[in-house]
Amino acid sequence: MAETPDLLIVGGGITGQAAALAAAGAGARVTIVDMARDAGSHANAGSLHVQMQSRFLRLNPHLAENLENSLPLYLDAVAEWARLDQTLGGVELARDGGLMLAETPEQMAFLEEKAEREARKGLSMDLLDAAALERIAPYLRPGLAGAELCRDEGKLNPLVANRKIEARLAELGVRRITDRIDGIEDGGRPAALGRQRYEAGAILIAAAWGAGALAGGAGLTLPSPPEPLHMNITEPGDYAIRHLVQHAERSITLKQFRSGQVVIGGGWPARAGTRGPAPEVLEDSLIGNVALAALIAPGIAGLRVLRTWAGYNTPVDGKATIGAAAEGSRVFLALPGDAGYTLGPIVGRAAAAAALGHDPGIDISPYSPARWRS
Amino acid sequence: MTGTVRFRFEGEEVTAPEGRSLAAALTEAGHRAFRQTDAGGARGIFCGMGVCQDCLVTVDGTPNRRACMTQAAEGMAVTRQAARPPLSAPPGATPKAERLEPDVLIVGGGAAGLNAGIAAREAGAEVLLIDERKVPGGQYFKQAAGGGAPLDAQQADGADLVARAQNAGIDMLAGAEVWGAFDGPQVLASAPGRSLAIRPRALIVATGAYERPLMIPGWTLPGVMTVGAAQTLWRSYQVLAGRRVAIFGNGPLNPQVALELAEGGAEIALLAEAASPGWQRPGAGMAMARHDARLTAKGAGMLLSLKRRGVPLVWNTLPQEITQGDGGLTVRYRTGGTEREVTVDALCMNFGFQPQNEILRLLGTRMSYDARFSQLRPERSETMETTVPGLFAIGDCCGLGGAPAAAVEGRIAGRAAAGGGEPTAADIAELAHHRRFQDALWTLYAADLPQLQDAPPETLICRCEEVTRATLDAALESGAEDIGAVKRATRIGMGRCQGRYCGPALAGYLARAQGRPLEDLSYFAPRVPIKPVDIATIVAAEPLFRDVPDDG
Repeated sequence: MAETPDLLIVGGGITGQAAALAAAGAGARVTIVDMARDAGSHANAGSLHVQMQSRFLRLNPHLAENLENSLPLYLDAVAEWARLDQTLGGVELARDGGLMLAETPEQMAFLEEKAEREARKGLSMDLLDAAALERIAPYLRPGLAGAELCRDEGKLNPLVANRKIEARLAELGVRRITDRIDGIEDGGRPAALGRQRYEAGAILIAAAWGAGALAGGAGLTLPSPPEPLHMNITEPGDYAIRHLVQHAERSITLKQFRSGQVVIGGGWPARAGTRGPAPEVLEDSLIGNVALAALIAPGIAGLRVLRTWAGYNTPVDGKATIGAAAEGSRVFLALPGDAGYTLGPIVGRAAAAAALGHDPGIDISPYSPARWRS
Repeated sequence: MTGTVRFRFEGEEVTAPEGRSLAAALTEAGHRAFRQTDAGGARGIFCGMGVCQDCLVTVDGTPNRRACMTQAAEGMAVTRQAARPPLSAPPGATPKAERLEPDVLIVGGGAAGLNAGIAAREAGAEVLLIDERKVPGGQYFKQAAGGGAPLDAQQADGADLVARAQNAGIDMLAGAEVWGAFDGPQVLASAPGRSLAIRPRALIVATGAYERPLMIPGWTLPGVMTVGAAQTLWRSYQVLAGRRVAIFGNGPLNPQVALELAEGGAEIALLAEAASPGWQRPGAGMAMARHDARLTAKGAGMLLSLKRRGVPLVWNTLPQEITQGDGGLTVRYRTGGTEREVTVDALCMNFGFQPQNEILRLLGTRMSYDARFSQLRPERSETMETTVPGLFAIGDCCGLGGAPAAAVEGRIAGRAAAGGGEPTAADIAELAHHRRFQDALWTLYAADLPQLQDAPPETLICRCEEVTRATLDAALESGAEDIGAVKRATRIGMGRCQGRYCGPALAGYLARAQGRPLEDLSYFAPRVPIKPVDIATIVAAEPLFRDVPDDG
């Protein structure tokens, strides 16, 4: 029988991987249990978000304050990714900034107000008029009103990142078990319940949209609705789109990988799997999303769309959940709360530190699971 | 009827008869390399039927056009395709968006689809038939692009069938490619100048098959192509793939094309069959003759004609490696126990077929694995209806069955899809007869073909993303288990052909390595687009779908 690990992580996506990397790097014995299905990180398209996404504000106006209060964590998250890029030997990370476009003066006014709010949370935002925008982003269609530029934003290649982290975890001796965990038992020796009972010194729930069902065992009631989202990728073209591009009023992220492929996403809906486990692509999303991208960056229309796919996000409450389920509990949570791939590394590392009694490196008190105690 | 067109390739003038594909015109002008890969390799015609995406060229400023599917036109400026073309909007008008709602939509205008269309019309349905090629007929009946007298009985039979389909009042749309299939069913297609969203009452999929290559070092070199590609060059465009040609493969298409090319004036340096000679399996030959004496005699006559022409035919032979030298492509091959070499202008191969079942899989048809032919087959009722109500599947997209069986399946499905009832006793009997012949034919050609695990480590498995077997093995060693994980770890299957060549090979490799049976989930998950789709086509379709709110 294998030794009981110091830390058992439920969920092998980017958050769980980052937690494992930190914990194993600090000398802990770590096991990841993952059901090897529908990992959001496997479907992610690699945007590094910092500024408030207009899409989130539109869909979740009641959670806007939570998102706004999380902005400092987004800054830490990008810094964490830059560190990972170094330690993993490159994940095609680029921080050339993110643009949020305005087509009308009204949209520009919205961005001005948003930039002020973001500046109050420590973000450095620039507002660009039409001419300045055209200078730095000549690939955009002419005639836009302007944009908000967040210099900390960027992108990376999640395929490369996932592969390199997995290899590093293997080097560090992190054990990986394929199983689906259906319940958690809190206590002096907490356990995760799957095909068998997995006991550990501490358990970290890093299960994204699966977290809600597990947190009940630790006395928490938290919503983690799965949000199936649509993505598209084109064949490669000359590398010209350096920014992460979004829109003030419409759902889109547009960027280009170093391979030259253009990735188009931004939260268009997909459908929860009806035939198999994976979410399914909807024609309305595919067509609307790609057409909007071509409207913004007409040059991509010379390329063809090669592939579309869908993956699960979960917004939770727009704010991360990091730390012990309760005072003295050995069950911990690591939930980014929207933008999971951006926030995963910082959330995972801080939560792992908390679980091992180390310094999380950031103030995690705003993200305490206490708000989910019934 | 044929005039002449002049166009430029890399600045050099090329002249060709009207109606020729760019691939055919450039081949005749001696050009082999069309596309540059990201790693600096060169690619040319491979599949000849719009599947492999390796014959890409830039045409009048629009990148990534398939030379095999694009007609040469007067004044065109054609250049080799750079791996990463500049981002600039292509010139040209926006396609016109249309919604169509035929009673019956048939995808594919080959033996199966044309017969289905005729039967559905006879049963009173409005029928729309769409086909990727400029001229209907499919891969078996391969019609001449410029019209003109048929080359032989097979082409004449095809011309008759196409004429009957036209006379039956089928709405036939040529040059139309399906890129999306969604529940409903809703089929999204691009056609010249049009972007279509089609909601039929019944959908008949008759998309046929594409050829299975042997993955050996050098199989991606320009000048190496499928046997079907060489056959299309000849039968549709009267262009020889090379002056000196070798054909390697397994199955009856290879001697047929060898003879056609020889009669067309090519020197067939070698015709190599993987199976052992038929006279070592007299039982199968006799069974074939019993089920179809005419076709059996045709096959035997072909071998005799090849012999008369002095075409060297060897059995028990497999290619090992292809290299490019000054004198052409040198193929190292193993015949019996010995290694030999042959140097040619063009090397053709066909080691069987893969069904084009993407639409069926996308719509959730239940599939099962046929180990004998290493391919998925859909479950079908007696009327050829799949497990998805209103979705019919016929012909070789359901797994290899041959054109005569495809024709009967077409008649049955066309009638049923139009509400015309169950198959007749005669249809059922005829179908059984053709299937028995196919069974005997492939017993005769049974061969133990090399698999991915037999390929040397440097062999490219994924043509598009240039993934070698060694890279695959490294991913497997580091723990990637299912086909999706291997894809994410290595990029295999992420390129333009969307895994059509590497996917089936990899699925078999993983199943054998893990001792698991193959099933639908062993293959890459089906994805839209079914073929790479122009963003302009999507933009054009957008007004048809505009009634949804942005955030759903």
